[in-house]
Amino acid sequence: MSALQKVIKLMLIEKKDIVIAICLGFIAGISSVGLFAASGYLISKAALIPPFYALIVLTSTVKLLGFVKAGAKYGERLYSHRATFTILSNLRVTFFEKLEPLVPHVFHKYRSGDLLGRVVGDVESLQNFFLRVFYPPIVLLLVFVSTIFFVSFYSLAIAVILLLGFLLTTIVIPALFSLRQVKINGRVRQERGDLSTEITEVMYGFRDLKLFQQLDTKQNQLLSQSETYINEQKQENINKVYSQSFNGFITFIVSWFVLAIGAYLVVNGTLEGIFLAMLVMISLTVFEPAAPMAVFPIYIQESRDASNRLYDVVDEPDIQPSETNISINHLPDVPPGLAFSDIRFTYKGEWRTTIPNLSLLLPAGSKTAIVGASGSGKSTLLQLILKMQQVEAGQVYWDQHDTLTVSGSAIWEQTKVVLQENHFFYGTIRDNLLLADPGLQDDQMNAVLASVQLENFSLDTRVSENGENLSGGEKQRLAIARALLKKGHLWLLDEPTSSLDAQTEQSIYQQIFNQADQDTLLLVSHRLQGLEQMDQIIVMNHGEIIESGSYQELMELEGYFYQMKTLEESLL
Amino acid sequence: MQNIKKTVWRHKRRIYFLVGLTLLLGLAIIVQAFLMTRIVDGVFLKNLSFSAVTSPILALFIILLIRALTDYMSKRIGVSIASDVKRDVRKDLLTKYAQQPVQLAEKGQTGKKVSMLLDGVDEMDSFYSQFIPQVMQSTFVPLLVMIVIFTQHINSGIILLVSAPFIPIFMIVIGIQTQKKSEEKLEKLASFSGAFLDTLQGLVTLKLFGRTKKQKDELEQSSLGFRDTTMDILKVAFTQSFALELISMISIGIVALELAIQLIIYESISFFTAFVILILVPEFFTSLKELGTTFHNGRSSMGAAKKVLQEFDEQDDSIQWGKNEMAQEEVPPTIQLNHLSFTYPTSDFKLHNMDATFLPKQKIAIVGASGSGKTTLLHLLAGMITPDEGAINVQQQDLVTFTEASWLNQLSYISQHPYIFSGTIGENIAMGTTAAVDEKAIREAAEKAGIAPLIESLENQYQTKIGEAGRGLSSGEKQRVSIARAFLKKPTIVLLDEPTRGLDLATEKILQQSIEQLNETATVITVAHRLHTIKTADQILFLENGQLQAVGTHSTLFDTLPAYREMVTIQRGGKQA
Repeated sequence: MSALQKVIKLMLIEKKDIVIAICLGFIAGISSVGLFAASGYLISKAALIPPFYALIVLTSTVKLLGFVKAGAKYGERLYSHRATFTILSNLRVTFFEKLEPLVPHVFHKYRSGDLLGRVVGDVESLQNFFLRVFYPPIVLLLVFVSTIFFVSFYSLAIAVILLLGFLLTTIVIPALFSLRQVKINGRVRQERGDLSTEITEVMYGFRDLKLFQQLDTKQNQLLSQSETYINEQKQENINKVYSQSFNGFITFIVSWFVLAIGAYLVVNGTLEGIFLAMLVMISLTVFEPAAPMAVFPIYIQESRDASNRLYDVVDEPDIQPSETNISINHLPDVPPGLAFSDIRFTYKGEWRTTIPNLSLLLPAGSKTAIVGASGSGKSTLLQLILKMQQVEAGQVYWDQHDTLTVSGSAIWEQTKVVLQENHFFYGTIRDNLLLADPGLQDDQMNAVLASVQLENFSLDTRVSENGENLSGGEKQRLAIARALLKKGHLWLLDEPTSSLDAQTEQSIYQQIFNQADQDTLLLVSHRLQGLEQMDQIIVMNHGEIIESGSYQELMELEGYFYQMKTLEESLL
Repeated sequence: MQNIKKTVWRHKRRIYFLVGLTLLLGLAIIVQAFLMTRIVDGVFLKNLSFSAVTSPILALFIILLIRALTDYMSKRIGVSIASDVKRDVRKDLLTKYAQQPVQLAEKGQTGKKVSMLLDGVDEMDSFYSQFIPQVMQSTFVPLLVMIVIFTQHINSGIILLVSAPFIPIFMIVIGIQTQKKSEEKLEKLASFSGAFLDTLQGLVTLKLFGRTKKQKDELEQSSLGFRDTTMDILKVAFTQSFALELISMISIGIVALELAIQLIIYESISFFTAFVILILVPEFFTSLKELGTTFHNGRSSMGAAKKVLQEFDEQDDSIQWGKNEMAQEEVPPTIQLNHLSFTYPTSDFKLHNMDATFLPKQKIAIVGASGSGKTTLLHLLAGMITPDEGAINVQQQDLVTFTEASWLNQLSYISQHPYIFSGTIGENIAMGTTAAVDEKAIREAAEKAGIAPLIESLENQYQTKIGEAGRGLSSGEKQRVSIARAFLKKPTIVLLDEPTRGLDLATEKILQQSIEQLNETATVITVAHRLHTIKTADQILFLENGQLQAVGTHSTLFDTLPAYREMVTIQRGGKQA
C-alpha cells in the first residue's frame, strides 16, 4: 500500500463531512452556472420586449440562485475545512502512535529536528491533499457533466467545445504541468526538512558554538541553506503562477470559441440568437471552479512527497522492533530474580560486538553492582533488561519468564530506573515528578525532594526544555526522586550519582538502600567506594565478566578490582 | 525592520511596475466586454453576416492573450518580492538570535524558535506574493470598470456605487478579527511544536514511567486545539465571503432587473449597453471578492509577519563588550576577581563579593557542594554573563572593555555536556579553533586527548559520522573530543566544568594527564570534585551558598577549615562524624 493510500484510508474516517462537502460544492457550482445563464437569457429576452411576467420569473430565479449559491459555498467551505483539519489532527496522533514503539532506535537514524519538521510541516502540507486534490475534481466533474448535458439541448457544437475545454483544462494541461513539476519533485520539502534540522541543531549547540566562535560560520551556512530553500520555493511558486495563468488563458479561449462558433451558428440559422448571450455567460462561468485544477499536479506531488516522508520514518525496516510472541502483559508485584543466559549483543551499525558471551544471575532481593571501564557493556545489560535493545543470542529471564515473551510495559511497570541521561519535560518540578504516579500528593513529593537534598526546590519551580536550567547534580537528584516515587521492585541505576559530590552521594545512597531493602537492585557504578554493602560485585571488561564476588572476596583476590581500587585511592 | 509597510517600500520599482500592469489588465477587461457585446449584438439583433464580425473576433483573441499575460506578470512579480522579503527577514532574525547572550538563548524552547524561523517567515510569503498584487487589482480594476459603467448608464453606476462600499467595510471589520485570531494560531502552532519536540526526546522516559498514553492524549488535545483555532479563523473568513457573495449577487440581480426594465418599459437603453454592463458588473465584483479570499490569507500572513517582526523588538540585555583588543601573548594573562557579585534575575541565588587573583599557568580548583555557585563563577569567567557588581580584571582591565572575540580567542571551555554536532569526528575536533587546520593537527590533538586509539579503531577513522548531540559516543568519549578541541586551539585559559563526571578510572587517568599537559601552557580553572585535582591545585576556591569561604592550598584549608576537612574525609571513604 502506498503512503498516499494510507493517508486516504485515514481520511475516510471523516466520511460524513466529505460527502456533505461534495454535495454542497455541487449545489454551489451548478447554481452559479444557472445564475449567469439566467441573467444572460434575461437581457436577451428583455431586448425582445417580452411579457412582464416572464421577466418577473427570470429575475426571481436569478435572485434565488444567488442566495442558494452563497449559502452552499459557505457550507461547502465549512465542512471541507473541518474535515481537513480533523484529518490532520488524526494524522499527527497516528504518526506519534507509530513512532512510539520505535524509540529509541529511531534516533539512530533520524534527528529530532527532522522528525519535528515531518510531523509539523509535512502533515500541514497534507491539508492541500483533501482540499485541492481529493474532492474538487469530483465536484468539478459533476458540475461539468450537468452543464454540458444542459447545453447540448441548445447546441451540440457548443456542448462539444465545452467538453473539449473541460478535458483540456482539467486533464491535459495539468498532466503537462505535472511533467514540469517532476523536476522540482519534492526538493522544496526536502530543503525545508534540512533547514529545520540544521536550525534545531544550531539552537541546541548554541553555547558551545558561541564559545568556540563558530556561530558566524554556522549562521552563514544556515543562510545559504535558507537561500536554496527560498529559491526552490520561488521556482515552485512561479511554476504554480505560470500554470494558473496558462489555464486561465485556455478558459478564455474556450469562451472565445463558444462566442465565435455561436455567432457563426446564429448567422447560419442553426442557433437562435436569443440563446447566444446565455451560452457565452455559461462558458464564462463554468470554468471558474476549474481554475484550481491548474495547481492540481503541484499539490498531488506535494502530498505524495509529504506522505512518503511521513511513512518512510515509521516503516523504516532498520528500526522496527522485532515481532515476538508477547504472552505476559503483567508481572507480579514482588522483587524479581533476573538471569542472563549465554547472551550475545552488538549495537546496530557498531564495528565490534559489545557483549560476546555473558551469563549472570541476580537472585530476587539481591543487591548487585557492576563496575568496569567505559564501553565495557555495563549499561547495555540494563538496556537489555528494559527491552530497549534485544539480544542476538541467548535469553534474559525475569524469574522464569524469557523477557521476549514479556511486554515492555509490564517490565517498566515493575522497575525504578535512573539512567545516565534523564529527560525532564518543559514545565514544573511537580509535572516532572507526577510522571512517576499521577496520584501523588504535594507533601509526598516535597518529602522526597527533601530526602534527595533538593528541599530548596518548590514544586512550582520551572523546568526548562531538557532541564537546561538544572545543574548536572540537580538533574540526577531529581531523577532519583522520580524513581523513589515510582512503584516497582526492581531498581536499575546507571551511575545515578556521578555528578554529585561525595557527601551528597553517601546520603542519597542511604535513602535508596533504605527503600530498596527487600527489592532487587542493580547498580552500575563508576566509583568503587560504598560498594561494601553490595551482595555481589561484577567486574566487566570488553563485554565479559572478569571477576565477581563480594567486596571482601574481591579485595582478597587482589585482581582487577583490587587494582582499580588502588588506582582510585591513588587519585584521591 | 519593525514595520511591514517598510518592507514593501524597499521594492518600490517593482511596485510601480505592478501598478502599470494592473491598469493594463483593467483596460483589457473593458475592451473584452465591448468586443464580446459587439459580436453578440451584431449577430443577434443587427443580423450582420459572419464576415462582418470576424475582425472583432480576432481582436478579442489578442485582448484575451494580453489579459492572461498581464495576470501572469503581476503574480510573478509578487512571488519575487515575497522571496526577497523572506530572505531578508530570515537573515535578520537569525542574526538577532545569534547575538543573544547564552543565558537568554537557553531560556526559550528551541522548537518555538525553529518554528518562528521557518513557519513564521514562510507564512509571510502570501502577503507579498498574493495579497499585494490582489490589492492592486481590486483597487484599479473596479475603479476603471465603474468609470466605464458610469459613462454607459448612470443608474447601474449608482447601484454599484451604493453597494460597493459595503465590501471594504466588511473586510475591515472582519479582517481585524482574523488578524488577532491568526496570531493566536501561530502561538498554538509554536506551542504544539515545542510540546512535540519535548515529548519526542523524552519518549524513553515516558515509556519507562508508562506515561505514553497520557502524553498521546495531551498531544491529541494540543493538535485539536490547533485545529479549532484554525477553524475559528476560517469561519470568520467564510462568513466574510458569504456576505460578499450575497452583496454581489443582490447587486447583480438589481442591475439586471434595472437594465431589463429600462430596455422594456422605457426603451431608454440599447441591448448593446445592457450586455456590456452585464458582462462588466461580475468583473467588478469578482475583483472585489477575490480580494476577500486573499484578504484573510493576507491578514493572517500579516499577523505572522507582525509576530516575526516583534521578535526584533524583544529586549535583550546582550552583553556590552568593549572595543579593546586583548594583547595575544604566549603567557596567560593574570585574572583578578574584584568584588565580584552576581544574581540570577529569576532566582534568589546570589554570588557574593568575591576576590581572588589567578596568576599565569596556575591551577585553580573551584570547590563546594552542588548548588554553591561553582558553575555560575565559570560562566562569569567565560563572559557568558556579566557581573552585577565588581569586575573580572584581565591584564588590569575590566574584561568587558575588550572585544568578545579577543577574549574567546584565549579560552577553551570544556563543559559538562560538550556539544557534538552531526558531522565527522574530525570536523567535531576541528570546531575547537577558528583557524584552518590540517588532518595532522587534528590527529595530534586527538592523540593528546587520549581518544586517538579509539578513533583509529573505527573503520572510517576521523571521517566517522557522529549524530545529533553526539549519539553513539559515551560521555567519556564526548569529553575527550572536547579536550581534543582544546589541544587544537592551544588556549591560554582553560575553563573546565566537572571534568571527570561519570567516567571510569582508566579514562579519568587519561584525562588528568591531558589536563596537566594543557596546564603547561595555560591557566586551568576547574570546577572540581576529585581530590587529585584539588590537592595539586595552586589555589582552591571553597564556595558555600554563593559565598567564597576561603582561598588557599589543600593543606592550609585542611588545617583551618572544618567544612572543607569534612568534605575531604567523606571523599576518602570515611563516614561523616
